[in-house]
Order: sequence, then structure tokens, then C-alpha cells
Amino acid sequence: MSDFDDKLAQHVSGLSREKQPERDLWRGIELGIASQQSDASNEDSSSSTVTSRQWMAIAASVCLVTVLWFAAPFAFKSDESRSSGYALIDAMSTQQQQQVNSLLASYESTTALTQDWQEQLKELDDAADVIKAALKDDPDNSALIKMLHHVYQQQIALIERVHAPKWQQI
Amino acid sequence: MEHTQQRVVHANVVFGNKGEHELIFKAKEGDKQAFRSLYDEHIGRVYALCYRLTGEKGMAEDASQEVFIQLWEKLGNFDGQSQFSTWLHSVTANITISYMRKQKGWVQRMFNLENSDINERPAQENSTDVDLEALIVRLPERARMVFVLHALEGYRHEDIAKMLNMAVGSSKAHFFRAKQLLKEYMGVDDE
Repeated sequence: MSDFDDKLAQHVSGLSREKQPERDLWRGIELGIASQQSDASNEDSSSSTVTSRQWMAIAASVCLVTVLWFAAPFAFKSDESRSSGYALIDAMSTQQQQQVNSLLASYESTTALTQDWQEQLKELDDAADVIKAALKDDPDNSALIKMLHHVYQQQIALIERVHAPKWQQI
Repeated sequence: MEHTQQRVVHANVVFGNKGEHELIFKAKEGDKQAFRSLYDEHIGRVYALCYRLTGEKGMAEDASQEVFIQLWEKLGNFDGQSQFSTWLHSVTANITISYMRKQKGWVQRMFNLENSDINERPAQENSTDVDLEALIVRLPERARMVFVLHALEGYRHEDIAKMLNMAVGSSKAHFFRAKQLLKEYMGVDDE
């Protein structure tokens, strides 16, 4: 072993085994777990077939994420831009609401497969509200943004699944 | 004699961490408060490993969150045969590597980025007062990951090769390169 190897080994053994993150990560973890659990219950209650409308919803979401992806470095650059960071979340929520409204309007005359879908939609709404509240304090938290996006996707998928399952479209 | 020592070690593992075992049991049953206690106990080591593997604070934070979110699901796989911290470390390494692969895929597709040229910075002037952590995060990605897994975490090159999907020889070569670069950063002349 060379002198350098000895020296390096000393430095390595002197390295702290622990390092604390600068921000609280627990809130995001808690929401992630909740989102996972709600995912599992949704999968149990309905089919996972992707319809053409869902593809459109997914495509719209991808466009939105792409816009956020490019806008985020500018919007989240400093503390001053917190409000503009949250403005993006607001825009995301507005677009989601419009998308949900137009989907609901298009299915107005279709009978839903389950009775409790509005309850499930409300639960997802509540989950989105909790995430948005967390984002108000920490608008550049990418894990929270991902979660919100995920919840919104689930809302669209839920509306699609209860109104237009694959077997109805044959 | 050796057998007795092994039993003592096993007993320490089992009974020394009795409180932790109780927390794990409760968390497996769905007790979030117990899971939060496990998080408080282990986040320091998990984040340190994520930070050293990714070399970047934001990614390390995201990867640490991913580790604990997946841990909630995977906790049932922990059979108590090894120390929880050892098992958690291996879970952390694997999840972080897979997280980095996904991130890299995104970034490379969008911007076609190669390894950053962060290692072009000048060497530290005083090699006796070395901030090894800062030097490790300056290493190129693959060299850094191999160095962290081998020198800091004690993984064998055979295991690292499997984890990083590379040949054993490549793992050894990356480790050698990491050492050479660290030597350079520390301003140590070749012997």
C-alpha cells in the first residue's frame, strides 16, 4: 500500500457517516406514502386500460410537465421568485380544473359504473389541496410537484375509467 | 470459540436493537409514527449515502425521499437476519442508483449532457487539511459511485459491477481513476 493509499484510508475513516439534509424531507415522504396507498386502492377498484381520451389527457399532462421543466429553473431561481413558483402551481391547478370540467361535461349523459366515484374524486381533490398547501411553503419541491401532477393524472384516469371502460367502447 | 463469538454478535444484533426491532415491527403493521421514528434515526446515514452517490444536494434530497417512500412498501422484506442499518444501506444504494439512471435518462435525452467538467477545478492547496467529501462530489459520476460504494461502503467490485451494470474490470478501473483524481485534487505528486 502506498503512502497516498494510507493517507486516503485515514481521510475515509475520518468521514462522518451521517449528514443531515438542509430541508425537512418527511412531509414529502408522508405524502408519497399516502399517494401510493390511494394508487393501490384505485387500481383495485377499476381497470387500467388506457383509452384514446386518456392518451389525450396524458399528452396534455406531458406538455404541461415539459413547460414546467423548462420554466422551473427560471421560476425557482431565488426566494423572491417563490410567488412566481407558486403561480406555476396555480396555472397547473387551473388547467386541471378545466380538463376535469370538460371531461365531466362530455360524460354528462353517460351513466357511471360505480356510485362512489364522486367520493373518490373528492378524496383526490383533498389530497391535491394538502399537497398544494405544502407547496405554498416550499414551491420548488420537485417531489411535491410530481405528487400533485400524479394526483391530477389519477383524477383524469378515474373519470375515464368509471365512464368509459374498454368493454363499453367495443 | 469462534462459534460462541458468532452467537454473541448475533445476540447483540437481535437484542442490542430491541427498540428498533419493535419500531420495525410496528411500521410493518402500518404504524406511521413508528416509521417516522425509523426515519429520524436513519435519515442522516441515508442522506449521506445519497449525497455522496449523486454528488448533488437536490438529487440527494429527492433520492432520500424515494428511499423512504419505497421503504414503507419494502419493509416486509426485512427478515431481521442482518442489522437493519446494513439492509437499509443496501436498499438505499440500489434505489439511488436506479433513481440516478432515470434522472440521467431524462437529462441526457433533453440536453445530451456528458459528465460535468467540475473536476477541472484547481487542486486544494493544503493537502493536510482535506475536505474529502467535497473532493468526492467533484469526481466524475461513475468514478464517484464506484469509489463511494467500494471505499466508503465496503462493497466488493463484483457486487458493484452488478449494481452498476458494468464489468468487474471496469469497476476496478473507475476506482483507480477516482484515486488518481483525488490524488490530483489533493495536490499529491506521483511517487
